[in-house]
Amino acid sequence: MFFDVLLVGIMVGAIYTLVTIGYSMVYSILKLMNFAHGDVYIFGTFVCYSLLSTYHLNPIFAILVATVMGGMLAALVEVVAYRRLRSGQHRMISMITALGAAYVIQNANELSWGNQVLPFPTIVEAEAWHLFGLTIPVTQIITLSVAVGIIVLFTLFLKFHSYGKAILCVSEDIPTASLMGIPINRTISIVYFIGGLLGVIGGILYSTSYNAVSLAMGFRGTIIAFTAAIIGGIGSLSGALVGGMILGICENFVGVYISSAYRDPITFLFLIVILLIKPTGIMGSVEQSKV
Amino acid sequence: MTTKNSATAETLPVTGPHSHYPRLQTLYAPGVTRQAAIYGLLLIGLLLIPRVINNAYYLGIVNYIVLYSILCLGLNLILGYTGLLSLGHAAFYGLGGYTTAILMTRYGWGFLPCLLLSGMIALVFGILLGIPTRKVRGDYFCLLTIAFGEIFRLVAQAWIDFTNGAMGIVGIPIPRLLGWTIRTEVDFYYLGLGLLVFTVFTLILLIHSKFGRAFIAIREDELAASVMGINTAVYKIVVFAIGCFYAGLAGSYLAVYQTTVTPSNFRIEESCLMIIMVIVGGMGSLLAPIAGVLIMTIATEFFRGIAEYRMLIIGGIMVAVLLFRPQGIFGTSAFKD
Repeated sequence: MFFDVLLVGIMVGAIYTLVTIGYSMVYSILKLMNFAHGDVYIFGTFVCYSLLSTYHLNPIFAILVATVMGGMLAALVEVVAYRRLRSGQHRMISMITALGAAYVIQNANELSWGNQVLPFPTIVEAEAWHLFGLTIPVTQIITLSVAVGIIVLFTLFLKFHSYGKAILCVSEDIPTASLMGIPINRTISIVYFIGGLLGVIGGILYSTSYNAVSLAMGFRGTIIAFTAAIIGGIGSLSGALVGGMILGICENFVGVYISSAYRDPITFLFLIVILLIKPTGIMGSVEQSKV
Repeated sequence: MTTKNSATAETLPVTGPHSHYPRLQTLYAPGVTRQAAIYGLLLIGLLLIPRVINNAYYLGIVNYIVLYSILCLGLNLILGYTGLLSLGHAAFYGLGGYTTAILMTRYGWGFLPCLLLSGMIALVFGILLGIPTRKVRGDYFCLLTIAFGEIFRLVAQAWIDFTNGAMGIVGIPIPRLLGWTIRTEVDFYYLGLGLLVFTVFTLILLIHSKFGRAFIAIREDELAASVMGINTAVYKIVVFAIGCFYAGLAGSYLAVYQTTVTPSNFRIEESCLMIIMVIVGGMGSLLAPIAGVLIMTIATEFFRGIAEYRMLIIGGIMVAVLLFRPQGIFGTSAFKD
């Protein structure tokens, strides 16, 4: 029992990490809380749902199309709603436009797919293994390894690809990066694109393992991303991993051993406690405010 | 001293007719008579509205405009005068609503004590949530208010013995206020108008007091204000709590007007809607949010024919307003660093 709960927790944690990375990256570069993040990832997940259950496409093709569309929507939101405000306006303003963008996307999603819980098809089907008296759920192992694989790939991309390095540069200091000849607008668009893409992958993995997708998961996803990013320390990749894992595992233990009704309040309580005790997060560094 | 002050008031950036800076000194000046006359005429006009609008449906819309005006004036105090982005305003609204609902249905309290207590409870929670502003800043505070708002809603949903869960509290009795039974839409309009006038009047007094000048100074330049000896941390907490107090009053009004309160009345979408209204009207100008409430409510009614696309259009309006006029239609100041 304990082992099962832990394994599911780790799997959920890995999915949360995927959703968190995009949000955390955006925050570290623009110091912008992207309220639209959750609604973008649920949009991608809905697209995947439609492609799979209405059009019966090949799962790999469907996932590819859905993730690219999610990424493009994220980049579009950036171009339309945030870019104009980047220079010259207080960042609180772009935070509120983010809220407006979230509102628009959420309502567009509701118009297209309604607000019911839809049955998301299972993509990977595998029998559970029985080993040393333990039941190993292969589906969850596959989900976990896909999530971990993508996190590793993304880390390699940041370290070695020229665009990855550009992203790291821009997150350090935008004016300096632009003096070094890095195309700022393009890099930021790429960050949003990747953030949306990873979020959609997370959403699809989550939905396929619970066989459900619903509009409410969008806002929940935004909150999860905020919380996980802050627990781990905003803007750091390892922080996203630590935060996502802690949140995923805790939620599962609370859900199984206490009550699933307290799963969400626990997430919020976690957020409040971390904010009050250590707002920079576990892996975060202290940011000095300049006068 | 006075001449020096008016000199500074003139050098401050005045960007519109609704700006408060020129008025800082004019509370007891000749201009105040004219202003009082304008407000008086406006009030008479508002009092006559039920004579003009006989249709109960339209009067219901007017009542919601009044209700949201109270909420948005309170939120504007927080958003426009301290720069704290609160996404938990619906929770304070809900605290007021639940306080009135529970006290009136279970304990048979009268409306007036419920109204006052609703405001006070929202005020107390406002102080509690405001205290972290000393340490938790900007976007982190915004997250804190989201968490508070969601916990409030989830607790209201889960604590079935006390709040009756998702069903909410129903059958809130007809309120009586000093012998006046408030029953029809017209009665509720006058009750709401009374609350709105109270809100506006207290806010004007507050803004023109020493207190108000202090937090306008904080808004303009927090560092400079703290150097001048203003205890910025305490002022922020107090302003936040006062904004929440009005939300509590509005919640109490909602409870008796709707005769029910449910957790879904106080979702985060409500907080977002209030922020949209404040932003569209304009932050930092005392009465501009009312314009936002009017615009958004009328837009909502106008697009009722294409109801499914309504929310989409409203979100679009908000993004557009922010992109092209960040200080809002009638606002004086956007956020400052």
